[in-house]
Amino acid sequence: MVDRPLDEAGLVERARGGDLDAWETIVRTHQGLAFRTAYLLAGNASDAEEAAQDGFVKAYRALGRFRRGAELRPWLLRIVANEARNRRRSAARRERLALRAAAEVRPGDAVPSPEAALLAGEQRERLLAAVESLPDDQRDAVACRYLLGLTEAETAAALGVRAGTVKSRLSRALVRLRKTLEEGRA
Amino acid sequence: MSELELRLEELGRELAFPPTPDLAPAVLERSRKPFAWGRVGVAIALALVALAAAFAVPQARTAILRFFHLGGATVVRVDTLPQATERSHAAGLGVPVTLQQAQRRADVQLLLPPGERPSRAYVLGDALVTVVLKAHGKPVLLSEFGSFGPGSLQKLVAQEANVETTRVNGAEAVWITGPHAFEYFGRNGFHQAPVREQGNVLLWLHGDQTLRLEGPLTKVQALQLARRTR
Repeated sequence: MVDRPLDEAGLVERARGGDLDAWETIVRTHQGLAFRTAYLLAGNASDAEEAAQDGFVKAYRALGRFRRGAELRPWLLRIVANEARNRRRSAARRERLALRAAAEVRPGDAVPSPEAALLAGEQRERLLAAVESLPDDQRDAVACRYLLGLTEAETAAALGVRAGTVKSRLSRALVRLRKTLEEGRA
Repeated sequence: MSELELRLEELGRELAFPPTPDLAPAVLERSRKPFAWGRVGVAIALALVALAAAFAVPQARTAILRFFHLGGATVVRVDTLPQATERSHAAGLGVPVTLQQAQRRADVQLLLPPGERPSRAYVLGDALVTVVLKAHGKPVLLSEFGSFGPGSLQKLVAQEANVETTRVNGAEAVWITGPHAFEYFGRNGFHQAPVREQGNVLLWLHGDQTLRLEGPLTKVQALQLARRTR
């Protein structure tokens, strides 16, 4: 008999019954995205770690209320994101987001000229600074939807708002970003 | 997808995130310990002494508050209630709107007892919705907001107030009688300064939502109303 890995719904059912091995598998599957989400929302790594950890513990205790058949990831992200935002409210500092040093050249890319690489790097830094200057609600929507690559539905779940609210926040954010970038060019 | 949106996605792939810590060992360790409201009561008692000294220090205050969390609400016992205005029913509840408008503004699906359909709702800080109901011939306030959404409701209770844990339809709940104040932190930095309340209060969870019932009801009456609120 082949020992096949359980699907997520099966793992949730087992975890709901107190199976910590199943819960560990779920935590390890989602901890990367949960931590990155918490980092973007809380603004620093230590608060993000604490928020993600508290979020998973709360989620475990709330598994009885998790609706069978629903998607687990948005539900988990919502709990972690709420923990992260609570910490941001009292946090004394927010770390500036930074770009990877290796961002200029990725495997398979044509090697750009030094001038082109410099220009592209500057453009990315300007865009990042523009994102950081957005109001919190718009910045959170942009971070979840584009920087983390969540769907609109997942973004709505993570931020605890309706999909329509996400759409309008993203729309306002894009208008503001375009304006900021154009002003920077002038 | 516009060019700007594509550039933002690209930016996300190039962000230097800190390495993800392995959360599993700590999560599992904490998940093994059963959550007991009785222990929260002990924690409240133990924290009282520290709280009185630490209350003026924002960081310490934040750390201690985490002990008393219920969904989107926090209950804090304090030596002295803060300077607060006295509130009557329906005063300082927020902006009066229709039920539909309130639900849209606060992003919440309002839960009501069967047969209740108030014509007006009040929205505070775009997240906390309150309706005025009549129960057992007395006016009561029912407030709701998404537990995992933005905002948080804080109950500051005096030493002489009674705080006990209970359950509503299987979910955690807190029953408060005696002197207490209500403070609310909403979206985008909204803050409702402490308001002194006279009625009894039941706080409970329904799914992701935190509900608060305030008024001159007994515990039995409040629990009956809460169980019917779905």
